[in-house]
Amino acid sequence: MIKLYDYVLSVNCYKQRLMMSILDVPFESILVDFYPGWEHKGEEFKKINPLGHIPVIDDDGFVLRDAHAILIYLASKYDPTGLWYPTNNPELIGETSQWMLFAEGTTNTASAARLHVNLGYEFDIEACRTGAHRLFRVLDEHLWFREQENLDWVCSGEHPTVADIAIFPDVILSEEGGIARMDYPALRRWTDRVKRIPGFETMPGIFPASEPRSLPREGEVHV
Amino acid sequence: MTESFKNLWHPIASSEDLQYRHIFQGQLLGRELALWRADDDFVNVWENRCLHRGLRLSIGQNDGLELRCQYHGWRYANRSAGCTYIPAHPVDAPARTICNRTFPSVERYGLIWSGEDPVGELPEIEALENSETLVLRSISVNAPIELVLGHLANYRFSITGDPDNFTTTSRNFLDERSISLTATPDGGELTVVFFVQPVDSNRSVIRGALCNNPLGAERLRTLRHHNEELSRLRDMVELEALDGPPLEPMVATIEQVPVSLSEVETPSGRKAPLRVKVLRKWVTAEDIVGLELESIGEPLPTHQPGAHIDVHLPNGLVRQYSLTNAPGDGLLYRLGVKLESDSRGGSEFLHETAKEGDVLAISEPRNNFPLRRDTVKTILIAGGIGITPLLSMAQTLRKDKLDYELHYFAQAEGHLAFPEILRKLDDSVVLHLGLSPDETKGELAVLLAEYETAMHIYACGPGPMLEATRHIASDFGWPDEAVHFEYFQNTIELDSSSSFEVSLARSALTLEVPSGKTILEVLRDNGIALMSSCEQGACGTCEVAVIEGEPEHQDVYLNDSEKLAGQRIMTCVSRAKSSHLVLDI
Repeated sequence: MIKLYDYVLSVNCYKQRLMMSILDVPFESILVDFYPGWEHKGEEFKKINPLGHIPVIDDDGFVLRDAHAILIYLASKYDPTGLWYPTNNPELIGETSQWMLFAEGTTNTASAARLHVNLGYEFDIEACRTGAHRLFRVLDEHLWFREQENLDWVCSGEHPTVADIAIFPDVILSEEGGIARMDYPALRRWTDRVKRIPGFETMPGIFPASEPRSLPREGEVHV
Repeated sequence: MTESFKNLWHPIASSEDLQYRHIFQGQLLGRELALWRADDDFVNVWENRCLHRGLRLSIGQNDGLELRCQYHGWRYANRSAGCTYIPAHPVDAPARTICNRTFPSVERYGLIWSGEDPVGELPEIEALENSETLVLRSISVNAPIELVLGHLANYRFSITGDPDNFTTTSRNFLDERSISLTATPDGGELTVVFFVQPVDSNRSVIRGALCNNPLGAERLRTLRHHNEELSRLRDMVELEALDGPPLEPMVATIEQVPVSLSEVETPSGRKAPLRVKVLRKWVTAEDIVGLELESIGEPLPTHQPGAHIDVHLPNGLVRQYSLTNAPGDGLLYRLGVKLESDSRGGSEFLHETAKEGDVLAISEPRNNFPLRRDTVKTILIAGGIGITPLLSMAQTLRKDKLDYELHYFAQAEGHLAFPEILRKLDDSVVLHLGLSPDETKGELAVLLAEYETAMHIYACGPGPMLEATRHIASDFGWPDEAVHFEYFQNTIELDSSSSFEVSLARSALTLEVPSGKTILEVLRDNGIALMSSCEQGACGTCEVAVIEGEPEHQDVYLNDSEKLAGQRIMTCVSRAKSSHLVLDI
């Protein structure tokens, strides 16, 4: 079984839990005392990841670090449909890579602001917030025009990709870092859609969405 | 300027923004708002603040009928914004006065309009009135409204979306926050109207609508063109705003929660403060009419499943009817009224005299038959017209995905009330038609044969059927507190021959109750207005706690163990076995 070096409040660990839950892949969570123990910075953990950060997975001896790389690995190996990481479609895989890089940006701004506020990391908080708003503005515009073409996801396919999973947690927890999303209505609607993907998992601070509306059947009255 | 803005209607979202089962987060004049579209298409505009702990409602859930706060799960009804459920108190009905602050809403021209305190109706906007409109993507700008409007006056656009083909435009300020721009190339004419939403002192949203709705690729090209031009404008305005003086954020006044919420409700007797109009009256089954009552003026108070209202009839009679609709379902109360063969004029009036459009006086809803939602399974048992409170319960349980069965005992299919609602409840409804009293008992014995912890029975129907249910449930080991009844009437023969003394602990008053008078009447005579409804020992409204003395119960509201405990009394019929009672009033 896959081992995930995990911390419940880590946004990047949550990305892996979410992906594995959606793909229905069983895994074992190895809890790392991230805060306040800083176990991931200790000598023991550096044998697993010399960079001293989580998440890391160990899939039957194959060890991989870095959140977005792990997402690509999980989707490539455990999604038989090939839709989450669409390697057989050059345009779509190009877009997926583009938005995976965008997710590095949201992690380094929005999620960094959250680490600063919640766990006292020393970041330039104003730069983090300004940077996050700049990216959210771009993403909101992008998703608004996607909606105009009846498309739901970050990439232009009809199915979500690992890019949605990579960006979503940074966005949905942004308010913990003091980054409001009121100015991004299309971005807010997209977070509802991600929450309605079958197999969706929550974490502290991320709540489930209500059920989508099903149309009334013929002759049914609204009561 | 802020003051005059408070009296205007402002577009604060586009229709497209409010998708079903979504909650839109908005802001106007410094006040945060939660906007949500219910499944019946009503657009709710509420203060973005749960009354309980102040959490933003916009991170809650819109389930189509109610908005659920994410923090402690308090639920608020569509339209009225009244609280329908508090999970920490699954047994109790929330106070009727727990209600979120609402603002008016109108959906027109593809936009959602609201305001702090708008004066008059939403004015017609001529340019948008006679054509199909295309609502542009809204643009949030970190700048004050005056600055944004100033730049919009110089806005130029290309009709074709072709960047080399910008057209000179004429402009016309409609009021202090909106402007229309018209391009007239080659004899044609195209108008775009912009409204600037004052979000805060240094934040605005540009909302534009084009008086033309092109299709396909042209539509997308037009949207992209305006988005590009407006984004350019935004960048310019934001740069300029950086040089402006720092502005204090606007402060929206938050209404204090009324003090009365933390106080015990003052008893006020039988009052009918609400006026309703009969919106619809129809025959729903043999001898049963359905009545839909809508408010005149203020929205009707929120009700909970099991609640009833008093209808004060023009002939002086007061009658109780259960509400059959689920909380959050529309701005009306739905009743089912059976014509009683021995009617003393109550059901007869509603059947024969009341017409659509008539005005009736009613009480606020009261709930003496509250539905628990901390259950593993709920069995609803309806006899005839006793279906009415159980229908509201069944719809609520279905929506909450709680396990339940609704057993409906009736003479024949033609006697089934509200068949359209029963169909919606489909496989949870079991019909028992044309059974004799003995067959009914046999059937009940099958239904109630297995009791488990956290199962509950709710029964409403004729007295003998409820008595049978009471005995059968008891035989199968159901504890009294798991079996709940609502009686139509009290069939116990009342004996008012005794005389005794009551002391009122809180009022420091001792009164004599002579034979022939009830405790309730004596209290009223002495200026103590206790709330009451049926006044025959069936509904539970006039209940009072007993501190000392032994009550002589003559009601059908309390169950056997409650009667034995002697801690509560129905003051409208029950009396004292002891010579003295001390009551907690």
